[in-house]
Amino acid sequence: MRRTTTVAVAALSAGALLLTACGGRGGPASGGGGQQGAQISGDKIVLAVLNDQSGVYADLSGKNSVEAVKMAVDDFKAKYGDKAVSKNIEVVTADHQNKPDIANTKAQELYDRQQADVILDVPTSSAALAVANVAKAKKKIYLNVTAATTELTGKQCNKYTFHYAYDTYMLANGTGTTVTAEGGKNWYIVYPDYAFGQDMERSFSAAVQKAGGTVIAKDPTPFPNDNFSTFLLKAPGLSPKPDVIGTMQAGGDLVNLVKQYNEFKLREQGIKLSVGLMFITDIHSLGPDAFAGTQFTDAWYWNFDDQNRAFADKFKQRTGTVPTFAHAANYSAATQYLEAIQRAGSDGADDVVKQLEGYSFNDVFARNGKIRAEDHRMVHDAYLAEVKPASEAKADWDYEKIIRTIPADQAFRPVGQSGCTFS
Amino acid sequence: MTNFLQQCFNGLVSGSFYALLALGLAVIFGMLGVVNFAHGACYMLGAFGAYILLVEAGVTFWLALLIVPVVLAVFGMVLERLAIHRLRSLDPLYNFLLTFGVTLVLQDLVKREYGIQSQPYPQPRGLTGSVDLGLFSYPAYQVFVLVSSLVVCVAVWYVLTRTRVGMIVRAATERPDLTGALGINVGRWVTPVFGFGIALAGLAGVLAAPMRAVNPLMGADLVIAVFAVVVIGGLGSIFGSVVAGFGVGLLQALANLYAPTIAQTLVFLLMAIVLLWRPAGLFGREEAMA
Amino acid sequence: MIRFLASSRLRYLWLAVGLLLALALPWLVYPPIAMDIAAWALFAVSVDLLLGYVGLLSFGHAAFWGTAAYTSGLVAIHTGAPYLVGVLAGAVAAAVLAVPIGFLSVRRTGIYFAMVTLAFAQLVYFVANQWRGLTGGENGLQAVPREFFGLDLSDPFYFYYAGLPVILFGLFAAWRVVRSPFGRVLMAIRDNPARARALGYPVDRYKLLAFVLSATLAGLAGGLFAVNHGFVSLQEVYWPTSGKVVMMVVLGGIGTLWGPILGATLVVQLEDFLATSGFEGIGIVTGAVFILVVLLFRRGLWGTTSHLLTMVRDRGRPSHPAPPEPTLARELEKA
Repeated sequence: MRRTTTVAVAALSAGALLLTACGGRGGPASGGGGQQGAQISGDKIVLAVLNDQSGVYADLSGKNSVEAVKMAVDDFKAKYGDKAVSKNIEVVTADHQNKPDIANTKAQELYDRQQADVILDVPTSSAALAVANVAKAKKKIYLNVTAATTELTGKQCNKYTFHYAYDTYMLANGTGTTVTAEGGKNWYIVYPDYAFGQDMERSFSAAVQKAGGTVIAKDPTPFPNDNFSTFLLKAPGLSPKPDVIGTMQAGGDLVNLVKQYNEFKLREQGIKLSVGLMFITDIHSLGPDAFAGTQFTDAWYWNFDDQNRAFADKFKQRTGTVPTFAHAANYSAATQYLEAIQRAGSDGADDVVKQLEGYSFNDVFARNGKIRAEDHRMVHDAYLAEVKPASEAKADWDYEKIIRTIPADQAFRPVGQSGCTFS
Repeated sequence: MTNFLQQCFNGLVSGSFYALLALGLAVIFGMLGVVNFAHGACYMLGAFGAYILLVEAGVTFWLALLIVPVVLAVFGMVLERLAIHRLRSLDPLYNFLLTFGVTLVLQDLVKREYGIQSQPYPQPRGLTGSVDLGLFSYPAYQVFVLVSSLVVCVAVWYVLTRTRVGMIVRAATERPDLTGALGINVGRWVTPVFGFGIALAGLAGVLAAPMRAVNPLMGADLVIAVFAVVVIGGLGSIFGSVVAGFGVGLLQALANLYAPTIAQTLVFLLMAIVLLWRPAGLFGREEAMA
Repeated sequence: MIRFLASSRLRYLWLAVGLLLALALPWLVYPPIAMDIAAWALFAVSVDLLLGYVGLLSFGHAAFWGTAAYTSGLVAIHTGAPYLVGVLAGAVAAAVLAVPIGFLSVRRTGIYFAMVTLAFAQLVYFVANQWRGLTGGENGLQAVPREFFGLDLSDPFYFYYAGLPVILFGLFAAWRVVRSPFGRVLMAIRDNPARARALGYPVDRYKLLAFVLSATLAGLAGGLFAVNHGFVSLQEVYWPTSGKVVMMVVLGGIGTLWGPILGATLVVQLEDFLATSGFEGIGIVTGAVFILVVLLFRRGLWGTTSHLLTMVRDRGRPSHPAPPEPTLARELEKA
């Protein structure tokens, strides 16, 4: 047996050798670094979209974000024609399957082997943070769009990382402040007991209290969880009775909670529901009637004004579906990145960083947008939205009613509080 | 006090799902010696079955409650004949691994077809209100879930202990050779019993659809908790699985209220304690220890 | 020709081929993937040690891999010690964790054991999730440094060679355990526990020791994995990771030690390929492969190949007793 084992070694190692060779070329990393000078590296600009194309974020962002970035490239080329800083602009993509180790490896590969000049998107906070470290090591630009963690512009910030669309602070502060200001004085906060939920709860409670409201009780719930009856049943019995339940659950847990909230008829008992993080795809999954009346903060809504609607039409023609905020934000991030190169005349990372920092702009995604130099947080107007019942929808996916615009300078965490230092 | 009772009731409702799933798992294990990793995926198929019937054929919840378990029983029997049967003479680990592979495939197939997001499934008409239970009122649908799962558990117990069919199944489980020697065709009961176990998982899935998120991964973490429940109850004991199911549900709801940090790990902590104190489970038999 | 290749004089040559491959790996594949393959290979071998040689399927080994990863990361971050210290600390942490889990689990056998280990691993997962201050929770443990007396190991190509000795040591240890008297007792316990007990061996204690050894090797691999990636996430303690490593062992060949190495290589490559190809059916592919292997190729790729080669070689030769196959494989003869 041992002899034939060794023969098998020969056969299979030869086979494995062939297979692994098919996997791709190895060798030590060939430089990387932020190139200086008015040059386009490799005579082309490569934008890489690294996101989740098969898991929970596939609908929110996924393959359609790649389309959004391609749209941005086409629009950029059309705008500048011959005067564009480079006509060779490529879009590449990889699926990190919501696994941070795959995100980590793919990010390295995209920068090293596909000569990506920028990585966009990257949902899931653990993946987002891992890629931030890769960007720092490789000294290449990273514009995160779909992750929520404030750490990207906080303790884990670095010179090459930018946080584009939203974060937990924007969501919590937006909803907490505005709903309290509108009369929701007494709150019962329910949050999933993990990093995201805890962060949201902290920001939320702070915002509510700052706006003059009171958090009567706050309970951590297991994550993931099927059954929120314990907490929902507790609400009417609290004293004083809460006006609003603030829930920080997301995804499937949110769906569970909303189903059960409706079952217990809490809205009829005068207890409204306010959601920390909700995407238009969540509303779609249960249908607007299940969420009708729920308030939350949205980074962007397609049916808000003519500019958004025009973009949504173009997007729909290209992909067959209405854009989510993630799609619009990826479009905007890609556009602003290309514009920065155009201004700098080079795609060297340090040059582009200089162009992005402090830059103010208005585009389809960001109204009153500005990329803060201190922590690389992109701030923009946010919106307090309320879910409309299906009867009020004027078109497919017309689920939201924008109640209030939260101006850019109030929506995001103030600069001093971030704890970010570019060491 | 009312709140406490409400929470207890709550716990019994979520315990219903544990009990139904643990029951199916225990029945399959008893008859085939197979631990069905795919039990969570079958639960998920049950919920999706109800959803698909509603969306494609307008079939109401009540009909789905009858149709879906039958369909899943057929699916289970086919699976048993095609794959599980071939591995029965081997170490049961192989069937465990096989059902693990089946889980991956089922989850991914559903994901490809329906996406990872949850699908909407409305509460059945007629059960949308609240029921006044004297001491407190509670959503009617959840009362229905508790009552139906109790009915099913009692019915299964009755069939197993009081009918001839049940007697044969029990005998075939405990003493297959002796039963065979007495002239009973043991083999032909294997497939139907497996199908029955899967049908129970499907039933739990249909019951879950109106009150829980219907998505491809809804059974994925749940099945591991059900494993722990079955270990607590005793792998060979059907009665133990049901009692453990309701018990764990109850304790988890109370933990959610009084000690939320450990609520999630509670079922595993209980399992550890039971393993220390009574390694065969609370109601398990010594022979069940392989 | 095959007889020539199979002769024992060339055995060491073939082992050298394997070693050469290990040394050449970063030239053949993307270097971070090379280290991944090596780490998973050791992890898979540790699971095979239990499954193939003791007959215990641990479906919760991610608990040890992940705990070691977190420990190694924390040591690296908070002490700045050379990475080897962190890796060893990780292995020790895994061993320590294995004692209570093993103690409670080895009382059961077979399928019960698998379920119990799975459930304990879930417990570890939830604890890691809750203990956010230590592990970073969902965000993961980020920015794990790679330190070795001032040497710059940031290029994954060079780090592979820094980490390879650890892996090779672990593989060698597994090989030695299997070929030692201790290993023989384990196999005896696997084949007939009652007889082993009758002969006076404290069966449970042997099983526990094997479990702890296996966990230590898994910990060695996990610790290195953490330093390679520069971060640790909850993924490392989540049960699909346990499933993935079992799949590697089954695919490669239970009870062969080489099989899991092959399985690890293939699965890591497959996952990497699927991530870039845009193919959406990852679960279907892996699940289907798993089902096929369990139904038809239970010896795994390695085992099946060696078996075929044995049959070819022995054609026309006077039959001589073959050394015993692993129990799980022996039952194949009955089927």
